[in-house]
Amino acid sequence: MIKFQNASVTYAGGVHALKNLTLEIPDGEMIVIVGLSGAGKSTLIRAVNGLVPLTDGDLVVDGVSVRGASTKQLRELRSHIGMIFQTFNLVNRTTVLNNVLMGRLHKTSTWRSLMGWYKPTDVEIAMQALERVDIVEKAYVRASNLSGGQQQRVGIARALAQEPSILLADEPVASLDPPTSHVVMRDLQRINRELGITTIVNLHFLDLAKVYGERIVGLRAGELVYDGTGEQADEHVFRDIYGRSLTADDVMGAPEPVPVTVSA
Amino acid sequence: MTSATQATHRPAKPPRSLTIYAGLAVFVVITLLSVSEEWGIGLDIPALIADIGRGEFVLRQLLNPNWEFLPHVIEPFIETFKIAVIAAFIGCLVALPIVFFASRTTAPNRIALNTTRGILSVVRAIPDLLYALIFVAAVGIGPLPGIMALIFFNIGVVAKLLSETVDGVDKGPIEAVDAGGSSRTQMVRWAVIPQVLPSYVAFSLYAFELNVRASTVLGWVGAGGIGMLLRTQYSFQKWSNVSVIIICLFVVVLLIETVSIRWRRRLV
Amino acid sequence: MAQATTTARPSRPSSRKRNLWLTGAAALFLWAAMTVDVDLADLKSLPTGLALIVDKMFLEGGPDWSYLDKAVPAMVASLEMAWIGTIIGATLSLPLGFLGAKNVASGWVSNLMRQVLNGIRAFPELILAVAIFIPIAGLGPVAGALAIGLHSAGTLGKLTAEAIEGIDPGPMEAARAAGGRGLQVQRWGVLPQVLPELIGFWLYRFEINIRAGAVLGVVGAGGIGFLLDQTMRYHFYAKAGMCILVVIVATIVVDTLSGGVRRRIIEGSDSKQVPEVDLQAVSATAD
Repeated sequence: MIKFQNASVTYAGGVHALKNLTLEIPDGEMIVIVGLSGAGKSTLIRAVNGLVPLTDGDLVVDGVSVRGASTKQLRELRSHIGMIFQTFNLVNRTTVLNNVLMGRLHKTSTWRSLMGWYKPTDVEIAMQALERVDIVEKAYVRASNLSGGQQQRVGIARALAQEPSILLADEPVASLDPPTSHVVMRDLQRINRELGITTIVNLHFLDLAKVYGERIVGLRAGELVYDGTGEQADEHVFRDIYGRSLTADDVMGAPEPVPVTVSA
Repeated sequence: MTSATQATHRPAKPPRSLTIYAGLAVFVVITLLSVSEEWGIGLDIPALIADIGRGEFVLRQLLNPNWEFLPHVIEPFIETFKIAVIAAFIGCLVALPIVFFASRTTAPNRIALNTTRGILSVVRAIPDLLYALIFVAAVGIGPLPGIMALIFFNIGVVAKLLSETVDGVDKGPIEAVDAGGSSRTQMVRWAVIPQVLPSYVAFSLYAFELNVRASTVLGWVGAGGIGMLLRTQYSFQKWSNVSVIIICLFVVVLLIETVSIRWRRRLV
Repeated sequence: MAQATTTARPSRPSSRKRNLWLTGAAALFLWAAMTVDVDLADLKSLPTGLALIVDKMFLEGGPDWSYLDKAVPAMVASLEMAWIGTIIGATLSLPLGFLGAKNVASGWVSNLMRQVLNGIRAFPELILAVAIFIPIAGLGPVAGALAIGLHSAGTLGKLTAEAIEGIDPGPMEAARAAGGRGLQVQRWGVLPQVLPELIGFWLYRFEINIRAGAVLGVVGAGGIGFLLDQTMRYHFYAKAGMCILVVIVATIVVDTLSGGVRRRIIEGSDSKQVPEVDLQAVSATAD
């Protein structure tokens, strides 16, 4: 359970990125945050794991108040919150497996991690995470040799390797082409449904948001302006969220590909 | 051209910024002072050209190397090589942990950062030959002071180059590791070191290359290697022998540079 | 896992090649360390010996502040040697660098020039001073400045050639298309593109040359190195300590000034390079 209560974030320059936000996200939900760039989507996501500290209000994640947390508590909290980034944030010069194993660092002692002696159980978890996003055959390939879509799947595997209860995805498809975007979004949806991990995704494209967002939250200038289901969110709603009429840039425009039947 | 008659004013030529003039003035003044007889080193180019014949005797002998001296040169060169290898190894290993205190990206706090940087700038301000002088005074002549001098020299070079590389690494993986709840040490090990490892190896090779050049002269003050032989032959005015040493030095330096550059290219 | 795995897990690739390199490097180090002519007794006496010297130089016995009168002018001479040497080097490096660039000079000229530059660079300043410039100019800072100048011409020439080879060929082509003659093309199509970078190289070289200028006196080529050599040889450690202090302070001050100017020049130019990357490129090939 994630609970924002009158949460605000004001940056050092005086920018109000999040204003008085109250929002509840029950366990196991997949929620999509939409809004223009600068509306506070990234701030909201980064507040959940404490990468951006609140300046006012409160935020409770799984019973822990993020605002008052010590460095140690914050680390503990982060260890079960996986994060996926727009630019993947992989170490390009090392192997896919090493990147995914970074998700196991919090469970590994400092000296073991210094030498790179991960426990076999941790390697197994990393391998299973790679299998879940269907990219295990690249385990020993350098991350820089993968395509964008493959790199993002490695990013998802890294987050999964944490065995998280919450998954944060900050514009996970903004650097990808439309067909790949659908693949990645479907991966996230599948993971949410199969593993019951609470998933928060920032998206810009509203057609993607409608397809994958069971629940959509709209932000405008740091304030919550919409909270409802994907079906309810029509053009009207989006126009209100964006504060302007919609343009071709706001939709990805690629139809959802025919779903592949995944062997159960 | 009709547009020329239009009302828009031609802009006046912008005045050159004052800093450029000030900079040029400083440059000229310092240079004039430096060459002057009274305030500077007294560089008199016409006199120099007139006297160029003074060096003729020496140059003639240098152009006439005494190849029988060659066998005496080999042993000291091997010592030079050993000094360079040992110092590069130890210096680069010691530099690695220091680097992470000297970079904004990885330093635990500002105090550690500034202290480390301060110490490093002192380490780098002392020339290799001066280190050699100090260590010769401390432990006597031989390769040991040479090794020690180059260790310090290498720490300075590698820590500076590598900490700048660490400053410039991709911050994305660092955020990712932070978001996963890892410690600072783990962050350095898995998000930073993989990014800078090829540069580190390249800089280490570069440090070794510098060592070979430097250790050829450290012997002048008694710190082992070929420089010691160079000094004795020089003091006896055995220019034909000096010539052999210089030619060998030229070959060795070029050889090691060629190999080192080739390996470095493959790395980065 | 509910999901059936269709793809087989790859096996771990062999790291034999890397291990071979590591073993080779370790073996080289061990060979050097075992066979080098260092007494274990010397190694043991190193900490006490060093502590004793440092104590005599800076703590108990020194530094001898009265020696400041001699140390400062000598350091000024060292700085002047470095300054003049850098100017000589920069001046010579311009034609050498242009002729060494493949996109400016014809193939054989640039190849020949590169070899000449490599040859010059291979000789340390100290050797150049001993073998060429002291015999010509006599003992003193002039020989030192000339030695620094020639060596710098080698390193700067190489960097200049590389910088020119990295330029955008567009402006050069435009200057040529507009009917520019050889030198005009170089002056307006090439030089403006590389000048900020070159000035950065010169300043950086000046910083390196200060260190050379501080020690060339050891062979009699003037500057504070002469005082260092004498005071150390005759065990006037308090005086030597004063000299070392002067060297450190002067070097750090000039480094800071020069670094500041360099940063401003590189930031002020529209050169694409980030200062850090730029510095690295310089220093990775500088000496």
